[in-house]
Amino acid sequence: MALSFKIIQPLLQTGTNAASRWLSYIGLGIGVLLLLCSIQMFVNIQQLLGKNTVRKNGYDFVSVTKTVTNETMGQPDKNLFHAEDLAGLKAAPNVEDAAPLESNQFRVQLNAGDIFAFKTDLFLESLDTNFIDTVPPNFHWQVGDMNVPIILSSEFLEAYNVFAPGQGLPQVSQETATNLPVLITCSGRGQQATFAAHVVAFSDRINSVLVPQDFLHWANGNFGEQTTSGSARIYLKTRDANNGELLAFLDNKHYRINKDKVKFGRTKQTLQGIFSGLGVFGLLVVGMALMLFSFYLQLVIARSRDSLQLLLLLGYSPRWLGRKFSLRFIPIYLFVVLAALAAAQLLQALFHREVMLNRPELSTLLDWRVWLTAVLLTILSIITNFRLVNRLLRKLY
Amino acid sequence: MQLNISQLLPTYFDEGRKDISEIWGKELTFERGELVKIVAPSGSGKTSLMHFLYGLRQDYKGTISYGGKAIKGMEPEGFAGLRKDSVSIVLQDLRLFPTQTVFSNINIKRQLNPYHPEEKIRELAERLGIGSKLSSLCGTCSYGEQQRVAIIRALMQPFDFLLLDEPFSHLDNRNSERAMELMLEETRLRGAAILFADLERVEFFPFTRLYHL
Repeated sequence: MALSFKIIQPLLQTGTNAASRWLSYIGLGIGVLLLLCSIQMFVNIQQLLGKNTVRKNGYDFVSVTKTVTNETMGQPDKNLFHAEDLAGLKAAPNVEDAAPLESNQFRVQLNAGDIFAFKTDLFLESLDTNFIDTVPPNFHWQVGDMNVPIILSSEFLEAYNVFAPGQGLPQVSQETATNLPVLITCSGRGQQATFAAHVVAFSDRINSVLVPQDFLHWANGNFGEQTTSGSARIYLKTRDANNGELLAFLDNKHYRINKDKVKFGRTKQTLQGIFSGLGVFGLLVVGMALMLFSFYLQLVIARSRDSLQLLLLLGYSPRWLGRKFSLRFIPIYLFVVLAALAAAQLLQALFHREVMLNRPELSTLLDWRVWLTAVLLTILSIITNFRLVNRLLRKLY
Repeated sequence: MQLNISQLLPTYFDEGRKDISEIWGKELTFERGELVKIVAPSGSGKTSLMHFLYGLRQDYKGTISYGGKAIKGMEPEGFAGLRKDSVSIVLQDLRLFPTQTVFSNINIKRQLNPYHPEEKIRELAERLGIGSKLSSLCGTCSYGEQQRVAIIRALMQPFDFLLLDEPFSHLDNRNSERAMELMLEETRLRGAAILFADLERVEFFPFTRLYHL
């Protein structure tokens, strides 16, 4: 015959502390809700900002330049980065990699061909493709190609669209810009060559007109009139562009970091920080509620001390008593966590529909990590109580 | 199962007790089927001995073992098993749940390892004259009635040893005899032993061994 806890139940004085018990349930519910919502908002931020961030695979990409001062003006040797500077930057704290932004050493002119009368002098630069945020497969060039693919800074197009109407020029969209055939003319050393160029992508990260490195190396070799070695800008790949050690290193070297580029990443970090803080607060509330509940359990056990001691004296196993005693609270725990989950789900659905207007990056359903946290919390609460009750019962022996 | 007592002495007794006692500081073995009477005047450590044998206290020197297994330092689960299956007790201070009914007090013990069906509770209660008290709260019963409840409770489980610590202190002779008769009957049914400690000899207990504490 299985042992019945029903006969034992009246011996445990649980009813006299209803207020503190309910207070701990409500506290636990609020704490769990806060924690779950924080995790979900954390995920929401990742999903919302993940696509637009300047970060790529978790990295910040920032450019550094040397500060041009009155003393160094006109001395390219002092204002450009050389091989040893590059090696120094690669070895700098928190820097994963560094690559120079190489520029043209010949004259380049761009004209819009027959479409509209637009002609300008231009600069071209090239950068290791690992550092570029958008690299389409056709971004390559080899000797003999008369077509040169270009990755243009999206800010440049915006700037063009600002001044174009004033100059009687048409404004162009990104889609149109990628379809516009333009001509670039390279000249130097008494030679001249014209290439058909087309914009293959826009970069949010690199403020430049980028061409494949193979093209720039070839063109510098053929048309280059100067032989300056070194580059004015270097791109750094780092886990955190605001890292104190890195910033101290750059300050020490009198290098300037382009902080605009990490602003978006910082905003995201700030938001994540806020929700991390909220999550920690939620955890604290959960901790407090569990503690309150453990006090309640201790109180019940203390009040029922004589009965429990007598049950143990009669031969009741402390393990059995502890298990049965703890099991009584599982339905309540499940109810509290499920209620918090339901509330978090409702809030997420409202946030998605009403605040984010059903943006496709977000999901109406809670993220799997939120569910997992809820399950882990339930298991944690049950185990914590079981251990506590067992310990208290063994003390009665 | 055997009960072995070896060089047993409460830590708060001086060694001289060993010379005047037939139990303290001796080597003793008790077998199933034996009826052991322990005559113990006040202050000789009668209740201490019963508490040591039941594992309620461990402030003693020497060893107590059941079936070759020493109980000192035994895990709570081990004691629970021993008390459920092998050793039963009627304590001098009874230890009942005052807010529970007589029936419930007995049944709480019975359900642990039922030797008798639930109906047997009524039968035994009737035999000891407390049949009408089954639904009364224990706290409202007289001490004599409570003593009988404790006796019936001890008989609800299987056991090899039944420990009795002044079980008739509040019972008249007639009720004591009835209760003894019932305990002897139940003990024989199990082929078990009784260790009966009291202030003086009790005529109606047919002991097979007699010790002076």
